[in-house]
Amino acid sequence: MKLTPDERLDLREVLRDLEHYRPRRKGWSWRRRRPDHALGPFVYADASEDLTRSVPLPAAHSFGGIDPQCDVVVTTEIASGRFEDDLRRMRMAAWHGADHLMVIRTTGQSHFDGLIEGTPEGVGGIPITRKQIRATRKALDAVEDEIGRPIDFHSYVSGLAGPEMAVLFAEEGVNGAHQDPQYNVLYRNINMHRSFVEAAEAKRVLADGGLLQIDGAHNANATAKEAWKVTPELLVQHAVNTAFSRAAGLPPERIALSTVPPTAPPAPKLRLDLPYAVALRRVFAGYRFRAQQNTRYIESDVREATVTHVLDTLISRLTSADIQSTITPDEGRNIPWHYNNVAGVETARQTLMGLDGLDQLVALREDGPLDGQAREIVERAVLFLEEIEASGGYYAAVAEGRFVDSGHYPERAGDGIARDPEGGVGAGVVRRRAPGYGAPVCSHFGHNVYAEEGGTKPCASYGGCTLCDPTKIRYVDELDTEDSVERRLEKPLGERAAGLLRPEVEKAGDGVVCVTLFLPERPAVARAAALELARRMGLREPEVIHARLLHPAEGSVFEVKGILDEAVRVADLPVAEPEERLAHAEIEAFVRPRNLHVVAATVGEDEHSVGMQEILDIKHGGIERYGFRCHYLGTSVTLDALLDAVERHDARVVLISTIVTHHDVHRENMRRLHALAAERGLRERLVLVAGGTQVTDAMAREAGLDAGFGRGTTGQDVASFVVRRLDPDRSG
Amino acid sequence: MGSTPREDDFATRRESVRGLSDRELHARFWELAERIVAPLVEEARTHTSPSIERSVLLRMGFGSAEAKALVARMDEAGLLGHGAGRLLLELSERRGIGVREAGLALLEGLHWDELEGAGGGER
Repeated sequence: MKLTPDERLDLREVLRDLEHYRPRRKGWSWRRRRPDHALGPFVYADASEDLTRSVPLPAAHSFGGIDPQCDVVVTTEIASGRFEDDLRRMRMAAWHGADHLMVIRTTGQSHFDGLIEGTPEGVGGIPITRKQIRATRKALDAVEDEIGRPIDFHSYVSGLAGPEMAVLFAEEGVNGAHQDPQYNVLYRNINMHRSFVEAAEAKRVLADGGLLQIDGAHNANATAKEAWKVTPELLVQHAVNTAFSRAAGLPPERIALSTVPPTAPPAPKLRLDLPYAVALRRVFAGYRFRAQQNTRYIESDVREATVTHVLDTLISRLTSADIQSTITPDEGRNIPWHYNNVAGVETARQTLMGLDGLDQLVALREDGPLDGQAREIVERAVLFLEEIEASGGYYAAVAEGRFVDSGHYPERAGDGIARDPEGGVGAGVVRRRAPGYGAPVCSHFGHNVYAEEGGTKPCASYGGCTLCDPTKIRYVDELDTEDSVERRLEKPLGERAAGLLRPEVEKAGDGVVCVTLFLPERPAVARAAALELARRMGLREPEVIHARLLHPAEGSVFEVKGILDEAVRVADLPVAEPEERLAHAEIEAFVRPRNLHVVAATVGEDEHSVGMQEILDIKHGGIERYGFRCHYLGTSVTLDALLDAVERHDARVVLISTIVTHHDVHRENMRRLHALAAERGLRERLVLVAGGTQVTDAMAREAGLDAGFGRGTTGQDVASFVVRRLDPDRSG
Repeated sequence: MGSTPREDDFATRRESVRGLSDRELHARFWELAERIVAPLVEEARTHTSPSIERSVLLRMGFGSAEAKALVARMDEAGLLGHGAGRLLLELSERRGIGVREAGLALLEGLHWDELEGAGGGER
């Protein structure tokens, strides 16, 4: 399957012939670092290989359109409920620099004792199935080719059925997985014997399959009452999973610790979070760090979330990170929307590129409080481990409620999570292996009469297991054709085929839009007004998703989402395809030998001159650079004075700048310019152009001018138009 | 539900670790972690579960529903401690049929009597 940048992902093509699709590579990929990478006017210290296609950061156009890529893997987590919609979002995120795409599972899958097949719709995530994984891997393989970088696909091997999920992942080329039995025990109340016994098998499969494992300690940050107090326990949780993973065969370079800076402003964030980050990296030297951003203290304010996430990313750079995970800025208020995944990724890459080379400029002080604070966290963690051992081991400690206590260890608040070692979900199914126990397959953990000996694989006697011979994998398409991707796609793809277009934030055709309203009233009144106005805009089910008080009496700002149940017909839209700019050299080659004069002015009673100067001045990249002879007459110039100057200089081009007014003065100015030029017999040989922040091309042409240019116009745009108009070889 | 509340007595409790160098402190951290997980690792080495056995049958070429039915029935018969894979492989060898055929036959209710006592001793 091959993608073309100006064509949408063909979902039917993705779903075609999945039965025979095989992943083309397995295992985790890191970015390829490029030290001292020269790009545009800069040399980067912490960059990786460029992409072949991408959307650069917004300010990049001021630096020649460069799009430097940071040296760490960037994660985004995607969870719409429909994987077919996630695939489009993944492609967009990949163009913005995400190369680790983590798929959240549907609510309840961790308590499902077995594998799910087909493509049923999920809630708050998707059911992870073989068909879904295969379709996703196939789409991501095509996206990799489109952008020119490997993409790591990731999901969860936790809950019940961990060993089966691990085998599925290894078979289907999933590149990374969360696996931590403590997550089962503490947060899912899954029986602890089962959780550890099954985790060993799952980890062994991940180890042999080349997958990167991420642990689950970050959940303690997200659930703690006061997240900065759980830092000693976080070290303990990382240690339990890490030591257990090593015993199951995972190499240190594929054990990633999931770590989150615990706090957010107004807490003194760096003072609290940095000692923990330093302590962790000292004790776990040699392992990988997956730096996650804070979710515990983000609310509905996307600006606030973004600032916290920038600070989180600063901590990654001040210490270290192998993977920078991102949290969407809207996670505090809804299941993330498409464009907020991109926003989260952009926050990370903007921050990381802005901090390029930080370690050459600053170092953490060794003579300040940091060292002692980091040491104290490790001491507290060692005391915690001692007490676990004294309690009679891990199971006994969990039974006593020693984990997820909100006290700062050794302080105990008495509110920890206690679990019965013999209880919990899925208890009572662990069986002792008989002396003759055998599992004639690869990647099996523990006692096994078929254990690999002298190079003979355990599966050799029957021709190989699925890990050796993937043709033996049993592919199941759908168990329920009603609740399937093919059925769900009928409506949105049918509408698209009929030329209809709807807005969306999450799922094709969901119609969800978000409007921002400021209302100058006290909060309760203002909120009611915001909802009523949204209804009047035609939005169904309006809901305030963010409110921020500006002043108790002067007003509040609201973001209101609602459903706009409208489809537009694409063919009926007045689409103005932007005309391509001519190259600088091409423009100059036409202009310079012809000695073309341009007369420019801000007309009417208008004192604005900045916009016009940006179009003219060589300093701002204006048209002077091409050799135009520019005569700027200033502000509040009359049309007669303007045309006098045209005659004096024998100019061929007139540029006027005008502000758009309520009284249509701007239209009147344009019309009069055209009429006066005609009266003087100049109109034929002149190119008349109007510009201004709210000017449109249609408005200018309607008034008799040749073109209008609005916000965002550059000298190159104007010069391209003028050259096309004046060059007989190009016109028509 | 949790443990007994306790004041932060770090100042006195830290006496046992205070004198350790950073290197010694980190070594102690890892020694404790490894001692704590050792019994968990040993339990995993010597035990199995239906999910583990289903994952073995997936690797032997069975679909998820097939693996689930086979393992459930073997567990009911008290045979899971021998390993679902070994039971199947030995059945296929005894009858001279493929592993997959042996599994499908079991799913049809055939040959279950032949599994009794299979996989008994060390191999």
